[in-house]
Amino acid sequence: MKKINPVLKKILQDFSQSYQFKRQSVLRGYDFEELRTALAELKDKALDHNENLLARFEHKARAHGSIVWRARDGAEANDLILKICRDHSIQRMVKGKSMVSEETGLNGFLAGRGIEARETDLGEWIVQLAAEAPTHMVMPAIHLTRHDVAVLFSEKTGKQVPEDIPSLVRIARSEMRKEIFAAQAGLTGANALIAENGAIMLITNEGNGRLVTTVPPVHIVLASIEKVLPAVDDALLVLKLLPRNATGQTITSYVSFIAGPHQGPQYIILLDNHRSDMLADPTFREVLRCIKCSACLNVCPVYQIIGGEEYSHIYMGGIGTLFTAWIHGLKKSKELARVCLRCHRCEEYCATKIKIADLITALAERIKNETGTAMWKRFAFDGVMASPGIQQAAFKAARKARKVIGRKDGFSRKLPAWMKKYDRFRALPAPAAKPFSRAFKKEFAPLVAAEKSAKRTVTIFGGCLIEHFYPEIGMAAARVLSKLGYDVKVGPSLCCGFPASNAGFGKASGEAFAALLKKLKAEGPVITLCPTCMTMLARRGPEVVDSEKARDLASRAIPFSRFIFENELGNLTRLMKSGRQKQKATYHDSCHHKNLWKAEGDSRKLVELALQSEILDMDEPDKCCGFAGSFSLDNPEISAALLADKLAAIEKTGAEVVAMDCPGCLLQIRGGCHRSGLRVRAAHTAELLERSIRGQV
Amino acid sequence: MTDINVRGPFRCGRGDAPVGATRPTLIKYMLTHIDKFIEKAKVADAEVELFPSVQRAVQFLKDFLSKNEIKGAIISEALKKRDPFDKEFSSLSGQLSADSIWVDAGIVSADYGIAETGTLIHFDASDEEKNVWTLPETCLCLLEKKKIVPHLEAIAPEIASHLARTDISSPQVSLVTGPSRTADIECQLTIGVHGPARLVILLIGT
Repeated sequence: MKKINPVLKKILQDFSQSYQFKRQSVLRGYDFEELRTALAELKDKALDHNENLLARFEHKARAHGSIVWRARDGAEANDLILKICRDHSIQRMVKGKSMVSEETGLNGFLAGRGIEARETDLGEWIVQLAAEAPTHMVMPAIHLTRHDVAVLFSEKTGKQVPEDIPSLVRIARSEMRKEIFAAQAGLTGANALIAENGAIMLITNEGNGRLVTTVPPVHIVLASIEKVLPAVDDALLVLKLLPRNATGQTITSYVSFIAGPHQGPQYIILLDNHRSDMLADPTFREVLRCIKCSACLNVCPVYQIIGGEEYSHIYMGGIGTLFTAWIHGLKKSKELARVCLRCHRCEEYCATKIKIADLITALAERIKNETGTAMWKRFAFDGVMASPGIQQAAFKAARKARKVIGRKDGFSRKLPAWMKKYDRFRALPAPAAKPFSRAFKKEFAPLVAAEKSAKRTVTIFGGCLIEHFYPEIGMAAARVLSKLGYDVKVGPSLCCGFPASNAGFGKASGEAFAALLKKLKAEGPVITLCPTCMTMLARRGPEVVDSEKARDLASRAIPFSRFIFENELGNLTRLMKSGRQKQKATYHDSCHHKNLWKAEGDSRKLVELALQSEILDMDEPDKCCGFAGSFSLDNPEISAALLADKLAAIEKTGAEVVAMDCPGCLLQIRGGCHRSGLRVRAAHTAELLERSIRGQV
Repeated sequence: MTDINVRGPFRCGRGDAPVGATRPTLIKYMLTHIDKFIEKAKVADAEVELFPSVQRAVQFLKDFLSKNEIKGAIISEALKKRDPFDKEFSSLSGQLSADSIWVDAGIVSADYGIAETGTLIHFDASDEEKNVWTLPETCLCLLEKKKIVPHLEAIAPEIASHLARTDISSPQVSLVTGPSRTADIECQLTIGVHGPARLVILLIGT
């Protein structure tokens, strides 16, 4: 179970909001999409030619007089650095910020051999003084207050230190300056290695990078192999995006290009540490595009709740999980992979378009296959979901139990005390008395014959939650489409296979999807009411089942809101009853609906139309509500914290209705409102449209 | 490899002006870049002072040193060789000594200014030069207006060719934007953590 520190959570959430604001303002006037596409392509090309570029870099750097070595792994890199220290009688070393040296555990290694390595990035220096782990890649000491820092500095200097930040920074300046002048070597990383001239690019705000490279007589560069780029122009593109995306700055205070040694020797150690293996893996090689801007971390909902110490091995967050799996082993990444929501929010911000969430899913499958997984998941996905017969029987049994577990208000009774962590923060729905497909048949079968003149046929695919828990959403969508003159069909009541795929059960997911494909007679567009089902049908399906039918289904699938907005907006407006009551509404962006299908704009306009009022925007409407399928079972404490934030954001708007397009979010938010006593109605967009046609809201 | 915003070599100050633009148009473009440079440098917390001539800037520097009772000032070696700095600042050292650790002011000159970000660029041959920029409490930097270019990409070829030089021991190119800054304690922006707490840009030209 992950620990949640409320003070840290507040700091990280405030930081995230101010970061997003600053980033938006420095990117104004730039086409972020165009820039990051260019950078991703550039990094891809550089990775294709990695070995050639490294060889060229080595050749050019040696021509300038640098000494260049390759290190296969962390131990080898540390040994090489130790050798340099011994050769030059180095007792004290100062370091610029280097994630790679944290990856190799350099400080501890050198300390054990009598060599002191001191950090000089203020945050790293403070964290080192406190003997703690960094909580953020760019802001390592973000978890410490000025009071904490003052206490540390008082201990360090032996004097009482005031608690104001400028004074603290002055003290740090003077202490660090003494350390830099006393050091015999300076070690830095590199933000880019430039092959055409053997230069390194170093980016810092504080200026420590400059001092560490110029004051001590020996300069050591420890850089990983994916940092190599062909030319200066390419490094400048990194420079254009990195500060803007990392901290919302147009540029950092200091950028240095250094080619070759000046006053003393310069050693450059190029570290592989399993990156060649990553490079050879067609699925995971794109991880090496990462320029370590940490934008993904800044907007990660889970990171903001638990912080970097909990959500890291060495590297943090989702991207860190991927690096960890390769560099420190699958086992070390297992716990980290479990806390990723797969909300895809990070992908919207990534400077090199790394599909972090999809890669975590691919990683989850490798972890499951190589290290095993929880018993309940094996039972649920391999046992139940993969087989249509057992799946149906399981849901039938749940319906039978409804009389015992269900309550009149549609929610289930509370779970027993030993399972309370799963439902005390949100009430769980009771299984519906009649599944969607049966309710549909009962109401629509008699109509079909009478309305053969319908203009087009559409097929609704509801998905498990609508089929078994929220048939009213499916019915609402069917009624709206039918009113608009469509001949509505309903797809089979089978799981699409997404939950299994997300949990790393690729085979079970493939079997479930194949079974669905076999039974689904797609006629006309296939309208989805759940964005994750949409992801399975239109994106992941053709990946797990390579067939013409899967590709055909992918091309037919469309989110309900988009279908209505693009095809029937005028007709819908005419159908809506006038004189209905206006209601104040807010809208929650369901992760896949926004980040993958970009359909949140369509939904918002439809909701505004139905409720006759402008949407009252909540704080960070695109932040996950914490449901995320089996995530909320794996991490109930994080799920509860995310939901609490979401409910607070909803309440702050003063809206009477919160609309959304995902039945999973609906389960979480409706259940959360019920438990917390928040009197806001949570509804699916389809429900609101149907009510507006009926004249109710 | 990529052509995003890379518009090939620019003549200094010519900016985005169309090829074959008339003199007034060129002047207009230049002025826009200068204004933008000043605005962006100030956003990055630099101070900008304008002078019609080098002599006036030298006078400002002398006043600055005496007014602030600065004793430990250093000057960049390259600048010290140039007229009128060789005569006016003959008492200042260009060599860093053991005392350089706590130096008060440093006088340097930049080779280019970047309007897009308010950045100063120096192509320096030595670590000492760089330290004159970084070690003092206040960095005073001279820049000619005509050396302001619209964006970094405009001088990319020059950066590349400088870094490829083999006639000097360690070719370096440095970009400095505003004073040294950190937000590592409680995300609060604070200046002067390692490098100068003040960066004064002396912009010269009419």
